[in-house]
Amino acid sequence: MINSLLFIFKEALTGLIRARFAGFVASITVAISLILIGIFLIITVNLGRFANNLRSRVELEVFLDDSLDEIKIQEIADKIRRLDGVQDVIFISKEMAVYEYKNLFKDKQEEYFDALGYNPLPASFRVRLAERYRSSVGAEKVFKALTSVSEINEEDIVFRREFLIMLEKYMKVAIAADFVVGIILCLSALLLVSNNIRLIILTKQKIIEAMKLVGATRFFIRMPLYIQGMIEGLIGGALAALFLYALIKLAAFEIPGYIAVDWRMYLLLVNLGLLLGLAGSFTAIRRYL
Amino acid sequence: MPATLLKLHNVRMRYPGGDGLEHVNLEMAPGDFVYLVGPTGAGKSTVLKMIYMQEFPTEGYVLVENYNSMYIKNKEIPFLRRKLGIIFQDFKLFEDRDVFENVAFSLRVIGERRRDIKKKALRALAEVGLSHKSRKMIHELSGGEQQRVSIARAIVNEPILLLADEPTGNLDLKTAVEIMNILEKLHARGTAVLMATHNYEIVNTTPRRLISIKNGRTLN
Repeated sequence: MINSLLFIFKEALTGLIRARFAGFVASITVAISLILIGIFLIITVNLGRFANNLRSRVELEVFLDDSLDEIKIQEIADKIRRLDGVQDVIFISKEMAVYEYKNLFKDKQEEYFDALGYNPLPASFRVRLAERYRSSVGAEKVFKALTSVSEINEEDIVFRREFLIMLEKYMKVAIAADFVVGIILCLSALLLVSNNIRLIILTKQKIIEAMKLVGATRFFIRMPLYIQGMIEGLIGGALAALFLYALIKLAAFEIPGYIAVDWRMYLLLVNLGLLLGLAGSFTAIRRYL
Repeated sequence: MPATLLKLHNVRMRYPGGDGLEHVNLEMAPGDFVYLVGPTGAGKSTVLKMIYMQEFPTEGYVLVENYNSMYIKNKEIPFLRRKLGIIFQDFKLFEDRDVFENVAFSLRVIGERRRDIKKKALRALAEVGLSHKSRKMIHELSGGEQQRVSIARAIVNEPILLLADEPTGNLDLKTAVEIMNILEKLHARGTAVLMATHNYEIVNTTPRRLISIKNGRTLN
């Protein structure tokens, strides 16, 4: 058994060396496809992270009537806290509202409030959403729940509904684009590996025929070809991972807190290369052997 | 060992073109030497292919030891072929390997142990008188020598039956006679030989049982 395996590996390696140019081209193609897939992955993962970050900041603002006293406000806050999908509730008093308003519009505001002679800004609750509710549908549910609180009027609740819907739409488009591009790239890599194995099969035709005549089993004939495909894919995957790693480090692409590249992506690329190589040799062997 | 080594019973084989084989019957016992003669295109190679089960009869059956063409499974075919030695007119050797590796190949693909590979391959090469050229590349050999390598490859597994498809077809008479002498020697040692040829001159140098194929039928 060990002798057979050694022979299979030797056959695979000599096959690789004999068809080294075509094999190199196949590996490079796998690498290029995987580099593009990697870039798309980085973009998507970071877009996703960015979108989640935006979503986590989405809150519903509930404006309160000036006539409500402290006890009543406390009661309402407790009611809101008990609602499904509410992570926490922050009370913004009228004074804090003015402070925030002034911070937002740095100048001229002193005069405006002075001229008015009273504070026109209402107190409010900022309702932050639980993780599962950070979507347009989730926010809508919390919105509905809030309207069930008797002291709250529907028109006093504000949230960035359109923003959430748009964000989700763009994310969907980005993921779909990723998927389509990824599949096209994978297919092209697959085709090239498969074509390379086909060439190897053609050049090995005589050997394969002789192998069959002296009683080699299918396993024995096919295994070296599978190994060749896997090695080509693996080399492609490793090249892609190395290239992306160097590129990201050299270009100082990562910005802590904003753009990050997960080390698991490199592992994924190498594995994807291996898988593409295996699938490529599989399709070639099925068709041509 | 069964009394019948090989049997083709009422074999019929239709080619897509229309011609083919009809009522082909052939029987061999262990240790027999049989010529299969007939003009080029008579179907001699097809008969051999049916014996090593690369092709299958449309009617009738082929029996090689216990392997029956009607019941054999695809995965059993390699094991049938390990019992046969096959020699071709165009040798089918590996140009990129040396003589030893060409012979050892048959043993490597069946997972023989390394020590045994060396012993058996060298013995087979000695048998055909090529021990001194075991490290030569194929293209460095003459046609007769190349055929001797292919015989060594065919016999290294100690086959029960040696199938030779026009083994002397590419060789001059003197070399052809040398090859025939080797086949005779193997036969004398107990290996059954079935040799397809259209060369009656060769047949006459070493007369043996003759089966001829004419118009797609066998005549004893």
